[in-house]
Amino acid sequence: MQKFKILLITLFGFIYLTACEKKESTGPIKIAAIEPLSGPYAAVGKDIIDTVTYSASVINKNGGINGRMIEIVPMDNAMKAEKTTELLRKAIDDGIRFITQGGGSSHALNIIKQLEKYNSRNPGKEVLFLNNSAVTTSFTNEDCTFFHFRFDSNVDMKVAGLVSHMSKDNSVKKVYLFNQNYVYGQTFRKTATRMLEKNAPRIKIVGDELIQPFGKVQDFNPYITKIKLSGADTVLTGNWGPDAYRFVNALKDSGLKVKLFGIYISQPAGMAAMGKNLLFNDVVVVKEFNPTNSNAPSWYKEFEKGHIEATGWTPDADRMRFMFEMFKSAIEKSNSFEPKDIAYALEGMEGKSIDGGKVVMRADDHQIHFDMQALLLSEKQEQSILYRNQDFDMSYVNVGNIPMEDITLDTSCEMKRP
Amino acid sequence: MYSLKKNYKLILYFFLIFTLLFLPFLFTSSFALTLFCKMGVLIIFSVAYNMLLGQTGLLSFGHAIYFGLAGYASIHFLSGINNNYFPSLPIFILPFIGAFIGLALGFVIGYLSTKRVGTAFAMISLGFCELVTALTLIFVVFFNGEDGIQADRVTGNNYFGLTYGPQNEVYYLILFWCIFSVLIMYLLTRTPFGRMCNAVRDNQQRAEFVGYDVRKIRWMAFSLSAMFAGAAGSLHAINYEHIGFESVSLAQSGMVLFMAYIGGVGNFLGPILGAISLTYLDTMLSDMTEAWVLYFGIIFVIVIAYAPQGLAGLILMHDPIIRNKPSLLKKLAIPYVFFGISILLLVVGFTSLIELIHSLKSNHSVLKVYWIEISNQNFLIWIMFILLTILGILACKRSYTQTKTVWDEVIEDIKLGFIK
Amino acid sequence: MSIEVLLFIIFNGLLYGMFLFMLSSGLTLIFGMMGILNFAHASFFMIGAYLGYQISLYSNFWIAIFFAPIIVGYMGAMVEKYGLRNIHKYGHIAELLFTFGLFYIIEELVQMIWGKTPVSYKVPELLNFPLIQISGMDYPAYSIFRLVLSILIFLAIYRVLSKTKTGLIIKASLTNPEIVAALGHNVPRVFSNVFGFGCGLAGLAGVMAGNVIGTEPSMALLLGPIVFVVVVTGGLGSIKGALVASLIIGMMQTAAVSLELNLNNAFQYLGFNVDVNSILNHFTSITISQLSPIVPYLLLIIILIARPRGLFGKRDV
Repeated sequence: MQKFKILLITLFGFIYLTACEKKESTGPIKIAAIEPLSGPYAAVGKDIIDTVTYSASVINKNGGINGRMIEIVPMDNAMKAEKTTELLRKAIDDGIRFITQGGGSSHALNIIKQLEKYNSRNPGKEVLFLNNSAVTTSFTNEDCTFFHFRFDSNVDMKVAGLVSHMSKDNSVKKVYLFNQNYVYGQTFRKTATRMLEKNAPRIKIVGDELIQPFGKVQDFNPYITKIKLSGADTVLTGNWGPDAYRFVNALKDSGLKVKLFGIYISQPAGMAAMGKNLLFNDVVVVKEFNPTNSNAPSWYKEFEKGHIEATGWTPDADRMRFMFEMFKSAIEKSNSFEPKDIAYALEGMEGKSIDGGKVVMRADDHQIHFDMQALLLSEKQEQSILYRNQDFDMSYVNVGNIPMEDITLDTSCEMKRP
Repeated sequence: MYSLKKNYKLILYFFLIFTLLFLPFLFTSSFALTLFCKMGVLIIFSVAYNMLLGQTGLLSFGHAIYFGLAGYASIHFLSGINNNYFPSLPIFILPFIGAFIGLALGFVIGYLSTKRVGTAFAMISLGFCELVTALTLIFVVFFNGEDGIQADRVTGNNYFGLTYGPQNEVYYLILFWCIFSVLIMYLLTRTPFGRMCNAVRDNQQRAEFVGYDVRKIRWMAFSLSAMFAGAAGSLHAINYEHIGFESVSLAQSGMVLFMAYIGGVGNFLGPILGAISLTYLDTMLSDMTEAWVLYFGIIFVIVIAYAPQGLAGLILMHDPIIRNKPSLLKKLAIPYVFFGISILLLVVGFTSLIELIHSLKSNHSVLKVYWIEISNQNFLIWIMFILLTILGILACKRSYTQTKTVWDEVIEDIKLGFIK
Repeated sequence: MSIEVLLFIIFNGLLYGMFLFMLSSGLTLIFGMMGILNFAHASFFMIGAYLGYQISLYSNFWIAIFFAPIIVGYMGAMVEKYGLRNIHKYGHIAELLFTFGLFYIIEELVQMIWGKTPVSYKVPELLNFPLIQISGMDYPAYSIFRLVLSILIFLAIYRVLSKTKTGLIIKASLTNPEIVAALGHNVPRVFSNVFGFGCGLAGLAGVMAGNVIGTEPSMALLLGPIVFVVVVTGGLGSIKGALVASLIIGMMQTAAVSLELNLNNAFQYLGFNVDVNSILNHFTSITISQLSPIVPYLLLIIILIARPRGLFGKRDV
């Protein structure tokens, strides 16, 4: 009997605690940013939140959108899928109609699928998902939905960019694929194999490695030995985080000279662990812009300066900036704050890139398209990469432009529009 | 007298179930309901886990395997319904399938691991957990790597008009399963088998000597525990319509271990309390502060150091007083209030300090602590909170000794009552 | 397999194995002696790495490698004295959970002090040059330095445990604490010292490895389980066992990485081919190299089921 009394008391105590709910519909435009802010991936989430918050504040400084300000609501999912679901439901309960997310494709997929169900079950209360960095290709192929917009190029496009640049580089003859053994790494490897065979048949694939992901591998020497024995002159890798910087450091120690082609290998979050070891081998990455371009237009210089002041680092991605600018123009164009109207306005919308080009949101699959640049990491030029009050004393040098056409791929998306 | 007591118990039961049935009308937000559902699932899981830890005395680090793999199986069945392979399979029996998967896995892995007890058993379970986690990432065709698998629960035939679209229908499903399986697990502890488990836990040699095959009992307990964990995993999959590799990982196993232990392994209700409070804490703390992992860890360490019987033990400590001389509780009230206030002082001071230190890493100098905006540039504020923390520590020490003195007096009083 | 590959496997395995040994030798002592499965062992390793970074920032690496382990060891002893000793009476599970909680606390404290991203902890310039070369692969002086130092540490611990009076007392406290106490030795203090020493070893491993594998808040989480594998496989309290187990795991994992074989090859050898598009191919095309991460855990399970005292243990785990 006593036990049940105890149970009851706890239960009611807890009910009182949960009973604080709030509803809001006017005031600022709230955008929930669901990212990992604690645990082993906190660095990834923190970087995204920083840039997203700053980019939104720039919009606010220039008068907001139709008189309303943007408010970013950071939410911590600790990189757990179930927490993402809970937070999404919480955000919806709080009347938030816009979600942005980027760290971790599994979470993005979770949000896409949850919203697909929610939006079809609750017409008139739709929620829009602005995907800032999750790159799994299927989101704009078979998993595409009307309320999802991706402002980053997907894995296939990035690989296409890398291969396109690689095919022009005559020093690349034998390539070794080195990837993480999970969905992203496997997609990377599959796409790379396919595209190399199709677009650059002269390049031979001499090795294909999948390693256990997320920093579980401490010792990269055996892998480097394999690369060495295969006789490769180039390593094509999608690795990020510890899997990237431990590899780069071990490569430097082994004295093996190869070219490194990658996407995230020079992420600033890992640069502190690599330092000048990064320059031992030629590292080429593809990006939508050159973060250390000293010839950027003055309006961007201003944006950059503000970013460094607010966060202590050079913006590593330009997509958050044009994401909010396009979001703003979509609201102004549709003259509505309803996610459905905004989504229609965003389809086919064009924004401006830093170099005077344009970025286009393809209406067929809600995938952004832009010109990419192949960037080589080098000693400091005029401007160096700053990260959280450290100066890495390194810069990117543009070694080739990849026009939008080279990375425009077909989509299998069959968009259902409400 | 006895019958009155029995009736009282029945009324309590009835009242409890009645409240649980009406919860969705009190809390309509889908977040609150999701939280309740999560609690229900984790209650099943932690009670099942306690069958092993508390009742049979086996510490496992790999119980998430059964939870997670049953979840994977259920989600595959769910997408099987989605894709019209077996459209008439009702969703409410999915937990049976999960339970079966859990049982089968528990049977096999239990056969291998129950040969050993104690630390060896714990290490084997850790090995299995890491093994399965690694395999979920490698075997993409079944587990779909770190993306996990999605399915839609609004599917198939709607038996009894239930679509499981609205969260409250899922709530009732989980509520039903929660009451059902907790009841069975409770009844299991009352059977000879349950008693045998306790005997194996307390004194293996004696149990052997009486003529039981201890290993078989451990094996059985292991399989049954895995079975209920499987049912919980299945409900988890239905609740989130998604399952990922983190549900089989060491983190999930550690979480359920914490729930059972913090709640109190010595009591059947302990894990339930643990599941409710930790789920709540986990969700709420992470919402309020970035340093929540630190607070989480500190709370654990404090509970382990000062309340080894868990929350349930802390509450049940008062049981002899209530039963014998409830009037003595009044005597305890004042020291408790003082103790509470000292703890509050300490908590406010300490958490504010932590938040202040935390804010130094960010680029903002103004932060919000307990609804008040303060600046970390202000030297006085730092001194104030340091003083508050020290004051809290001193007050806690003092009121702890006071409470202990009063407590000892009260217990002495009751003992005297027995002698008389 | 050519001789070249074999040479690489042995040498890489040796380097990796000795790293594992440094990491887990401390826990072998702690676990063997006090029965505490210290989940926070890898956290002390992490603190060692961060302290190594911080001290070498203000002075140099050589001062760091001397002082950081001492500080970590002192912290460990304090944890034993003020935390674990009070919890001892509640049993091993409570002790283990205490260290589990400690793990969370240390992770978050490290994030609070040094931030969430890796810090730039560099290999000392003095040793940052290729020392030896094995058919075209350089091995820097720092790797060799780590190798030599860990061998020296093994020899020192081994000698202390088997040849000195201190070792005798430690080993006696391991089996018969009451009798040792009756002989006038302060057993709790011995325990504290052993715990501190074990943590100090982890700290030393951290100072030496942090600049190679990267110093970041998640390193403790990632290294946690592998430490247990070494300790359990080697046998309770056996420093020799820990060495052999580390080397076996190092060699096995390195060898597994080098094997590009899968079931498809085996089937081909037997005379039939697996369809590339079939579901079966998803399983049979996985190479041994890809399965290398599970090797240690398989070893752990097999050892515990077949021989629970480990390779050199004197009693069961």
